[in-house]
Amino acid sequence: MIYESPMFRTLGDTALNVEFGDETSIPLNFRILALDQAIRKNPPKGILETNPQVRSLGIVYNPLVNTRDRIVDAIRELTQSLRAVERLPSRRVTIPALYDDPWSRECAEAFGVRNNMEYIAEFNRMTVAQVIETHTACDYWVTGVGFVPGTFVSYAMDPRKRIGAPLYRTPRTWTHSRLLNFGGNTSTIYPFRVPGGGQLFGRTPINIFEPEQKNRVFKDGPVLARTGDRHRYVSISRDDYDAIRAEVEAGVYEYQIEEGVFDCAAYLAWLDDLGEPREKRDPESTWERA
Amino acid sequence: MLEVIDGGLQTTVQDMGRQGSMALGIPPSGAQDAFSLRIANLLVGNPTGGPLVIRDDPGSAGLEILLGRLKVRALKDLVVALTGAKLDVTIDGAPAPRWQAFWLRAGQTLACGITREGARAYLAVHGGIDVPVYLGSRATHMRGQFGGFEGRVLRQGDRLSIGPARLDVASLVGRRLRPDLLPRHAAPWEVRVVRGPEADTFTEQSETTFYATAWKLNPKSDRTGMRFIGPALSFRPGRPRYLIDDAGQDPSNIAIDPGAPLGTIQVPSGVEPIVLGVDSPTIGGYARIGTVISTDMATLGQARPFEAVRFVRCTWVAAVAALREQHALISESSVLA
Repeated sequence: MIYESPMFRTLGDTALNVEFGDETSIPLNFRILALDQAIRKNPPKGILETNPQVRSLGIVYNPLVNTRDRIVDAIRELTQSLRAVERLPSRRVTIPALYDDPWSRECAEAFGVRNNMEYIAEFNRMTVAQVIETHTACDYWVTGVGFVPGTFVSYAMDPRKRIGAPLYRTPRTWTHSRLLNFGGNTSTIYPFRVPGGGQLFGRTPINIFEPEQKNRVFKDGPVLARTGDRHRYVSISRDDYDAIRAEVEAGVYEYQIEEGVFDCAAYLAWLDDLGEPREKRDPESTWERA
Repeated sequence: MLEVIDGGLQTTVQDMGRQGSMALGIPPSGAQDAFSLRIANLLVGNPTGGPLVIRDDPGSAGLEILLGRLKVRALKDLVVALTGAKLDVTIDGAPAPRWQAFWLRAGQTLACGITREGARAYLAVHGGIDVPVYLGSRATHMRGQFGGFEGRVLRQGDRLSIGPARLDVASLVGRRLRPDLLPRHAAPWEVRVVRGPEADTFTEQSETTFYATAWKLNPKSDRTGMRFIGPALSFRPGRPRYLIDDAGQDPSNIAIDPGAPLGTIQVPSGVEPIVLGVDSPTIGGYARIGTVISTDMATLGQARPFEAVRFVRCTWVAAVAALREQHALISESSVLA
């Protein structure tokens, strides 16, 4: 649910969480991002950094410069003007992907589980081809960036296209880099070789984390994703995958990114017109089946 | 220049860490025992940074030496200081002091023994370890393979550049920390905690148990997180349905969320509380029973595997007072020349 007014959670002496609700939804995330923008534009004294995530805004501050109470008051004031979020800056990023790839299969085999893509298809009562068709059929809203450097959390913007699969019960000790995966109803990509419990279903040839910042897309930082980006996945062949990978390694790949502004109000109206609840709540779809 | 003869178990270049990149999934990194590194820098006349991790003020970089055994040779005359965990330190075999600035002359070898009390020692060099600044800091983030020296632990043969020296560098020699300020590095450790956002999701009995237990540091702990062995904690019944759907079946699952700040204590499935460390993931997903106060993260950085740690309830006001008090110690009045 979305709260009447935001809640401020104390995290020790140097951090706060501002919570607008305890559900995970794109409408709630709009409010977090709008507040994040407002703080970045006009930071109250003492705030060192913000960390916008799906349902809350993390704040790190220096309590020797300003008290928590005064920071809370300043943020509360900023939220007054954010009741209805009209527009947010949002880039549209195209992510090419080789679906049902050999590296995801290899990971599944190494950890003694079945090919994750087949499991995902079965869990969503689809064929593998339908999973690919559905995952490439709508934009994904990036509600938060993080966990390990470069990774992110994103949700299908069309609730009718929302698919997913429960996390592994026991996480893998390693995963190949750049693998697409579902964790519940969120879609993400592992930036480099890390442990993890997401269900693997494809690999992108593009870097989402490039610490050496070779490509000019990384000139301002080593991470591709920004909170509030819209991601659109495109299914590619193995030949395309290899060709794009070669360009990425040479640092010359043209990342497909459109800068823009997203009309949140129109999107929310569209969601209402769909006549479906904004968040699908299927009582059968708990994670017990994992 | 400083040449590494033996990198020991895990030695990394660290400063006070990088601020402002959490929204990219990048944790602060930096020294786990920030107090010891700041004192080492103070003794050799370097910028100390802080009081927390402050944007653009990470202070000078030094070496964080986990459990000892580092061996380095100076390739020019340097003024250095070693602080933090208790270990034997020698220059060409002769005993050298701790918590005091001294000469390490060109060609001399500084050798650290194994730590006897505490877990992490810090070596500061006048001028600072001069590795490239990455996103505002020289701190090493090993998993991301960036920052520090080539984004990794130090190995035999590595050569570390040292920043430019002041003219009166000789005057720094002999500067030492006032003896009454020397930290006590021995178990049982006491670590202060401010109550966390999901403390209410635990049963009252379990919250009492959390503060009454002498927890043992799990040896699998590292800069990402410190895990504690002890009794299982349980959760109150009656979790709302939508939270089960959104976040997961386990009563410790909260919706994916920034558990990020240093010191957050998460308790997945009620088993083995984890204190998030300087290299931790920037998003958590488990019930947060409390947060270790920023001052005591330095203390926790000295706990050794299987040592006892007690968590002590603390108010936000007391936590800020502790920070102010510790920050005030980073000054010339703490130094005997």
